[in-house]
Amino acid sequence: MNGYAVAAPLPDVLPPIKPRRGFIGYLRRNPTIAVGGFLLLMMLSIAIFAGFLGTVDPTALAPARRTRPPSADYWFGSDMLGRDVYSRVLYGARVSMLVGFSVAILSSIIGLTIGLTSGFVRWADALVMRVMDGMMSIPPILLAIALMALTRGSVQNVIIAITIAEIPRVSRLVRGVVLSLREQPYVDAAVACGTRTPTIIWRHILPNTLAPITVQATYICASAMITEAILSFIGAGTPPIVPSWGNIMAEGRALWQVKPYIVFFPAVFLSVTVLAVNLLGDGLRDALDPRMAKRL
Amino acid sequence: MFAYIIRRIFATIPVMAVVALFVFSLLYIAPGDPAAVIAGDQATPADVERIRESLGLDRPYLVRFGEWVWNILNGDMGVSIFTNLPVTTMIKQRVEPTLSLMVLTLILAVSIAVPMGVTAAWKSGTPPDAAWGKRALMVLLAFPVGVAALVFGGLRFMDEVSVLPLIIWTLMWGATFVTCAWKAGPMFDKIIMGFGVLGFSIPVFVVGYLLAYVFALELDWLPVQGYTAFKEGFFPWLENLILPAIALGGVYIALIARITRATMLEVLQQDYVRTAKAKGVGQSSILFLHALKNAAVPIVTVIGIGMALLIGGAVVTESVFAIPGLGRLTVDAILRRDYPVIQGVVLLFSFIYVLVNLLIDVLYTLFDPRIRY
Repeated sequence: MNGYAVAAPLPDVLPPIKPRRGFIGYLRRNPTIAVGGFLLLMMLSIAIFAGFLGTVDPTALAPARRTRPPSADYWFGSDMLGRDVYSRVLYGARVSMLVGFSVAILSSIIGLTIGLTSGFVRWADALVMRVMDGMMSIPPILLAIALMALTRGSVQNVIIAITIAEIPRVSRLVRGVVLSLREQPYVDAAVACGTRTPTIIWRHILPNTLAPITVQATYICASAMITEAILSFIGAGTPPIVPSWGNIMAEGRALWQVKPYIVFFPAVFLSVTVLAVNLLGDGLRDALDPRMAKRL
Repeated sequence: MFAYIIRRIFATIPVMAVVALFVFSLLYIAPGDPAAVIAGDQATPADVERIRESLGLDRPYLVRFGEWVWNILNGDMGVSIFTNLPVTTMIKQRVEPTLSLMVLTLILAVSIAVPMGVTAAWKSGTPPDAAWGKRALMVLLAFPVGVAALVFGGLRFMDEVSVLPLIIWTLMWGATFVTCAWKAGPMFDKIIMGFGVLGFSIPVFVVGYLLAYVFALELDWLPVQGYTAFKEGFFPWLENLILPAIALGGVYIALIARITRATMLEVLQQDYVRTAKAKGVGQSSILFLHALKNAAVPIVTVIGIGMALLIGGAVVTESVFAIPGLGRLTVDAILRRDYPVIQGVVLLFSFIYVLVNLLIDVLYTLFDPRIRY
């Protein structure tokens, strides 16, 4: 004993909790994000590399070999014009992804602008929100249908139509968040310090709206994909020359009682993709916004 | 309270005005020349001019809007470009199937979704049972094995995959799985929520085709497509509508079950629930009499808001099942670019939506004495 007191070793009753750090640890704690993200990445790579996955030209006609059942040559069969359904389904992923992501990003940006404006400029609020209430009273699919009836079918017009139908929801969300944030002590403090409004918005409001907006954007992405498929399915969406899942199903519709596989394959792909985006949204909601997660 | 109801009714007037303005202005907002788009590619300049005139695009915007609103208030929604019939007449002929479909879906969805949400919330608070949880997991893994066996066995020995054994297997498997999960406790909640995500993700026409393929084509239990008027008998009517109603109800069930579970989770933590339990009130009357009543307001609100999904879905369901309703009218109108008809249908559906939500708001004040504005 040389005069130093040595701490007695602690018994191993409580093993130390070592949360795994880094990306892998994050995914293990949020399995929903992992599953959703994995499925979505898979679909995304299918969309990007559609040309390299054993596909042929999705618009190439072969009338002599039409409505073939699935086989080694035609993995998913061929449709009533002899086009390869496998190639069409894979290329169709591009349209769905493009529409889903574009609508999510566009409507988030526009909705964010409108929501911030009406949250801060009080005289504009009543007017903007009445307009948004009115737009929200029109069921989104019908609004998109009405818009598409007046324009020529193209991917760009589909994106615009669905974006317009989704804007009111984002604006309402952002406005609500902004109004509750304005009451926060730190915003009051910033005002008392003489911070100018643009700086307050940039530094205090905007970062706090990002989490709910990201979650909302994933849900919008999912519903935009469904809406695009519905529009194309009833003949008001992308032009028939573009292979989109809705179009493939619309073409298979006449034959579905005898050749159900033409409708079946795009349907499965669409459902899996939307499921992936929805799972990602649920996971992000639980991870980013614990208060909302408890409520829903 | 009456003052509130009156105020609430007046508050819907600007909303309806915005809807009308928006639907009307679409003609002017749309990029390009709507008259040319509606006339189609083979139209002569004279055709385009005729359509421009019939839509009133040649006259000033405000004058035209005033006329249009006045006509609608007098029950005149214009004339179809394609059939030259008044839009109101065309709508009246098509109302019954759509209304039947929506009412049936509503009843079906609410009666399935609310008990689902309530039990999910209850089960999420019960202690987990690890042994039953393990059993449930094993049953879960058995499902693809059984399906694979039936498919490969069918291909190997009969050269075809028959649907009936698959359905029987799915039903038996489902019953076992749900029972195990029920005994395992919170797992039941997770499963209900999983079904919820599925319900949100599978588009209505996919469910529609799947149901029609299995129950109408393969099993021949129900008619594939079509509609029988209600006055020709209840059962023929129901026979035609049951599959569309299930298909259309999917998203709606998911939505209602989700919100029911969320509100019930909150309500079940209240003191009066504990008091009821302490008094010895039975579990089901705690859930359905004490708690559900207090959770009713958000649930009914979501039922109202979800009507938008129902209306949008009806358009698609009607074209999948060839039901001659307003949705079919819309789809036909799109293919012919018959804008006055589309305008009329969109306006009608939006007004119905606004009115339903107004009704729900007003009913709160009657049923829930706590709500005072």
